[in-house]
Amino acid sequence: MKLFHSKYLLVLLLTVFSCSIFAQESHYDRRIHRYRKHWEAMIPTQSTVQMYGNMGLVSIGMGWDYGHKKQWETDLLFGLLPPYSSGKTHLTMTLKQNFIPWSISLNSTWAIEPLSCGIYLNTVYGPEFWTRQPERYPKGYYTFPSRVRANVYIGQRVVIHTPVEKRWFAKEIAVFYELSTSYLYLASAVGNKYLKPRDYISLSFGLKFQLF
Amino acid sequence: MFFMKKIVKLLCMALLASTFTACDLLDIHPYAVKINGERDINATNIKEIETSCRDKDSIRFVVTGDSQRWYDETEDFVKAVNSRNDIDFVIHGGDVSDFGMTDEFEWQRDILNGLDVPYIVIIGNHDCIGNGKRTFKKIFGQLNFSFIANRVKFICLNTNSMEFDYSEPIPDFTFIEDELTNRQTEFDKTVFCMHARPLSEQFNNNDAKPFEYYVNLFPKVQFCTAAHDHRITAEAIFKDGVMYYGSDCMMNRNYLLFTIKADGYEYEVVPF
Repeated sequence: MKLFHSKYLLVLLLTVFSCSIFAQESHYDRRIHRYRKHWEAMIPTQSTVQMYGNMGLVSIGMGWDYGHKKQWETDLLFGLLPPYSSGKTHLTMTLKQNFIPWSISLNSTWAIEPLSCGIYLNTVYGPEFWTRQPERYPKGYYTFPSRVRANVYIGQRVVIHTPVEKRWFAKEIAVFYELSTSYLYLASAVGNKYLKPRDYISLSFGLKFQLF
Repeated sequence: MFFMKKIVKLLCMALLASTFTACDLLDIHPYAVKINGERDINATNIKEIETSCRDKDSIRFVVTGDSQRWYDETEDFVKAVNSRNDIDFVIHGGDVSDFGMTDEFEWQRDILNGLDVPYIVIIGNHDCIGNGKRTFKKIFGQLNFSFIANRVKFICLNTNSMEFDYSEPIPDFTFIEDELTNRQTEFDKTVFCMHARPLSEQFNNNDAKPFEYYVNLFPKVQFCTAAHDHRITAEAIFKDGVMYYGSDCMMNRNYLLFTIKADGYEYEVVPF
């Protein structure tokens, strides 16, 4: 009976002791936990390789997915514009917002995302391009910036879930294509029968690697 | 392995499909300067103009300009010029593009290539935007150039000083001076063609007076042509007897028609 009491007392003491430690560090722990959680949210969840689409020949970057069904994505891509006849290579940067409302799972490996859509801003680097009209021009001389363009797109994706035993880089790989246009092309097309959709619509395609 | 093969297969299919069926749709960048189709339009057409106008009694040519984004109107202009058979060549006074995009230069070139007579294009301020001037040089040619049609020398100048931030001599007086002696025995009349006329906001107006001085050094200056203002103008800017004729924009559907004869010239505005 005595033995039982002493055991009981020990457990009680230990519990109180551990609780008191927990109570002492809980604020700090919570804080650190929050701190880590917030910074961890900034770890990119996906990387993307995309070709064409008025953002350069090839663009590579990273992105984040979020939302209840991970239906939102934001990508930051860096692209390369080869010199071709201009004699100068340019770097481009694209900030892309994707919305993928549905994902239809076909089996454990394949899924289809029948609609992806969004907007992207593309900027091209080089002294010949400007965002704000240089001071030498009279006010409102040109109505558009030559450096930044807004594009809209719609597209589709096929998603492959990589089998766990063969997984070495990404959880999912999505193959996608997009049809896009920018306001410069739309402004050109409006009021002209001469320009056909093939003139102002661009096709691009790429791969998205869902890391985790 | 099977899985990787599937991905590779899919990628190859996408690549093949896009290569064969959608080349037009694969746009790299609005300012890519990746040129499809004909280049050096001016050089090719100048040869044709010089040959066809040699030993004629008079020459008749059209002056137009500012056709940016007015593709349908430009097509109608081509039809209107083709419907007559008394024109020797067409001078486009610049602004074939609005944003300096590579595609814009190609679209306008393709429409103007429908002309039955040869044409030349002078660089406009909008053609300089972004990589535009690089595209212009490849598709149309040099920014300052000249040609001789039936002993009349046409001196075509880049006058878009503001677009170059005054970092290059525009107008280029060295070029103009050289033109005095270049093929001196082959011409006895002169016409100057440009996009922005002197005293316009685009012109380096510190050079306006020297420009007038250089123009008057040339033998029998007939007149100067310009575009840029999107309206028809006819004015002796410097009150020195040299007329500056400005063409309208393509939207307003008219062109200037000049006839240079042995004893003078005629000028007409033709609607279409």
